[in-house]
Amino acid sequence: MDLKALVGTIEIPDISKFLPELILLFVGFLLFTLELFIDKRIKRAVLSVVSYIGYFSVLISLLIPWRFPGDTFYGLFTNDALGVTVKFFAVLITLGILTFVNNYFTSKRSFYGEFYYILAFTLLGVFIIASSYNLVIIYVALELVSVGFYILTALLRGSTISKEGAFKYLILGGLSIALASYGAAFLYIYSGSLDLREIFTYKGVDIHYFILGLVFFLIGFAVKIGAVPFHFWLPDAYHGAPTPVTALMASVGKLAFFVPLIRVMPLVEERFSIVWTITVGTIATLTMLYGNFVALVQKDVKRLLAYSSIAHSGYILAAAAVAHEIGIQAVVYFLIVYGVMSAGSFLVLALLERNPNWRNQIEEFSGLRFNMPYVAFAFLIYMIALLGVPPTVGFVGKLLVLMSLSFEKLWWLAFIVIVSTAVSTGYYIRLIVLMYMKEKNKDVMVDRVSPGEKLSLVAFTVASVLLGTLPSLIWFFIKASSQNLIAR
Amino acid sequence: MEKASFPFISMSIIIPIIASIGVLIAKERYAKYIALFGTALTFLISLLAISWFDFSKTNVVQFVERYPILSDFNVSLHLGMDGLSLLMYFLTTLISLIAVIWSIGDEKIKDRLKEYYIAFLLTESFVIGVFTSFDLVAFYVFYELTLLPMLFVIGIWGYKLRLYSAYKFFIYIFISSLFLLLGIAALSVYHYSQKGSFSFNYFDLVGMHIPTGFEIFLFLLFFIAFAVKTPIVPFHTWLPDAHGEAPTAGSVVLAAVLLKMGTYALVRFNLGLFPNAAEVLAPYLVALGIYSIVMASWMTISQTNIKRFVAYSSVSHMGFVVTAMFLLNLQGLNASIIEMFAHGLTSAGLFMVAGFIYNRLHTFNFVSLKGAIKFMPVFAVITATIAFAAMGLPGGSSFWGKFLTVVAAREHNTPLALLVLAAAFFSGVYVLYFVKTLYLDVREEGILKHFKDIKGYSLLAFVMILIPIFIVGLFPSVFMNFFDEFVVSFLKSFFKIQ
Repeated sequence: MDLKALVGTIEIPDISKFLPELILLFVGFLLFTLELFIDKRIKRAVLSVVSYIGYFSVLISLLIPWRFPGDTFYGLFTNDALGVTVKFFAVLITLGILTFVNNYFTSKRSFYGEFYYILAFTLLGVFIIASSYNLVIIYVALELVSVGFYILTALLRGSTISKEGAFKYLILGGLSIALASYGAAFLYIYSGSLDLREIFTYKGVDIHYFILGLVFFLIGFAVKIGAVPFHFWLPDAYHGAPTPVTALMASVGKLAFFVPLIRVMPLVEERFSIVWTITVGTIATLTMLYGNFVALVQKDVKRLLAYSSIAHSGYILAAAAVAHEIGIQAVVYFLIVYGVMSAGSFLVLALLERNPNWRNQIEEFSGLRFNMPYVAFAFLIYMIALLGVPPTVGFVGKLLVLMSLSFEKLWWLAFIVIVSTAVSTGYYIRLIVLMYMKEKNKDVMVDRVSPGEKLSLVAFTVASVLLGTLPSLIWFFIKASSQNLIAR
Repeated sequence: MEKASFPFISMSIIIPIIASIGVLIAKERYAKYIALFGTALTFLISLLAISWFDFSKTNVVQFVERYPILSDFNVSLHLGMDGLSLLMYFLTTLISLIAVIWSIGDEKIKDRLKEYYIAFLLTESFVIGVFTSFDLVAFYVFYELTLLPMLFVIGIWGYKLRLYSAYKFFIYIFISSLFLLLGIAALSVYHYSQKGSFSFNYFDLVGMHIPTGFEIFLFLLFFIAFAVKTPIVPFHTWLPDAHGEAPTAGSVVLAAVLLKMGTYALVRFNLGLFPNAAEVLAPYLVALGIYSIVMASWMTISQTNIKRFVAYSSVSHMGFVVTAMFLLNLQGLNASIIEMFAHGLTSAGLFMVAGFIYNRLHTFNFVSLKGAIKFMPVFAVITATIAFAAMGLPGGSSFWGKFLTVVAAREHNTPLALLVLAAAFFSGVYVLYFVKTLYLDVREEGILKHFKDIKGYSLLAFVMILIPIFIVGLFPSVFMNFFDEFVVSFLKSFFKIQ
């Protein structure tokens, strides 16, 4: 190809497709600069105000790519309904979590301005994962998110468990990305392309390369989403991290790490669908059972919720085993609402941790209703939502999971979903019983809860019920995502 | 389906919720009056609904209201009432009112009154939702929702073993209904494979041609949930704990209304949606029902705790309901439905008797209860009346249920009828034992003489139970009228029985 023809193929990137990312990049650098140069006394206020304004403008700018779906950057960056949906909810949940950051780190005497720009760049990584089919781009963005999380996890500098969690996360995260890249290499050998769409539609003969590549690809992501048996970092990282960061990892992080998997689902060919179902179904089985059984014996509520997060990865993976439209809808819906529930429940812990003597032990929840009735009620709602009692979001999620499993007649997996939900009843109900039916054994008071924190908790609580009672409120996001993927 | 002229059903679902918000906002000492007002208003609406109801067409679903929830999956809040729903709806509003009246007079209910009345009001609202939903998701939502307020009622205001019982109650019913959820999901997916669209609507799902093996599978998924809820022996072990440890009003609502959700759903869904599977499995289920009656009666006699005694007697009555239902003929289904209603009245009455005695003597132990009601003449008469009505003495409410069950069994064959009769005999034995202990046994009478007889709100609650007991016993056609047409057309359309 001569130079002229080459120049002729150069396309000018279509800014309407990646405007939110640009804004986010700008916000990140702005926060970085401000953090360096601004006076210490007003730093906190300025950084959070700039973050709020920045994220709100990102939220508004997301309306534009919704109107202009398509590829840009030579197909490296794909803008579609799924991407916009994930970005939209990621930003919304991040906004909710952001309200807790200031007070939490202040009470832990560990406030660092770095938090704000690292958060912005992490979110940028989430945005890029959500909108690419190219393996290299996905891996780079994955690292952007992960490195962000490693640093945020270690942000409680005085605490050893925080460092321990970060180290475990770092080492296993590094391993996972190595495995996933290895998988990418195999997939490249098989198809001569790094684009997932081309890899999965390529009718090659060297199927063993494809299978090897796919398995490594799946293992890489299984580590990131905390699927058993690749989950070992997760409880420690979730436990050690500052609680708002845990909320972020459980909600936004999980949302992001599942996206490449969702993108692959409609591409799985008929001849590979049995391999897909068995592999994903087996991982889902292990994850659900292990997560729930281990959560049952936890004494620390933060660890308990971390294991419940593993279990929920399992439920979502169970739906992902069904590579059909209904499966995609179930996965997308469950991911979004799990983000809401988990962020809410971890934020309650973040609030309670501001008590000087609070250790997150399960018996400390005894009689919480008498100390903090509103917080206890919010936590009650999150617990029944995580358990899947109607009319909360968790119920609709589980209904969709069971519907997708019935669609493929995967009764064994459906029964495992039932069994693991049954096991989970034990620990969620125990917390409810402790909060409402036992006497209080000490006074728990949190002073100066800011209006932003109240608003965010109310929003998460209302969303946990409302999106389950009237799922149609967000259903067009989910429908558009799945139809967009299927139609391709 | 006829459109509603007045939204009776949604009003009766919403009014208790509004009243519970009122309780939440108002001061604690007004809580009981707001709750009383809310339940009384709902009861009045149910009476209005009955007067509005077209009794010449009890097989037709009337007062239909429909609000879409998720149109992609055809999920909607589809409310309506046919004769069966109407009867259960009336029972719910009546019992809820009685429970609130009783709670006002109950001296054990002293603290956390707001939450207490909120729990009862919400239960009423959700149970009405269960009995009037013709959408499977909406049904499931209401069915599960009733668990939460009851969990709190048992766990907070219950007796000694309340936490254990609350756990057990929630875990049993929640886990069993997960199977129901899978059944609902599978059924709607089957509808998709046949008609090309998901649907959870009862009227879409009814009359689908399902392969028999798959139909039996679905039948069993539904049956697990309802068998635990009803309960049928051997799935009954949660019941004595939950009913035995709940506060009196909680036991009343649990036994009178919440158990009916199981039997109602067995008729509506297990028979209505899977008639072929029901016909295949009917003999086994009849056997299970009779086993349930006999076992529960024996367990009843061996109880030393009067509340657990009443609880086990509920299990044995539910055995009659299940037996009669799966005999699958006209008398059987009639017997089953009238027995549901009758048991709602008598078990509520017996639990109130137990609660009243506890408030006087502070024990549930039978040994200390000997002759307990001797010096309270009005209360003694009430107790004996309710107990004999529960036994099935002619003139009492349970007579027609048991009598028609025997008739229905005779239609199959005589030995079966004799078996049912023998089972009924056992249920007579425990009632006689109950009356004998409370009434006739002798012990030192020093403290008994100082007992005040029943009066006030408690008496009112008993009177409200006794009136319908006698109406059912003496003029059964008043209530049989609710569902006779329904039963005929139900059997005709699903089981080809004239």
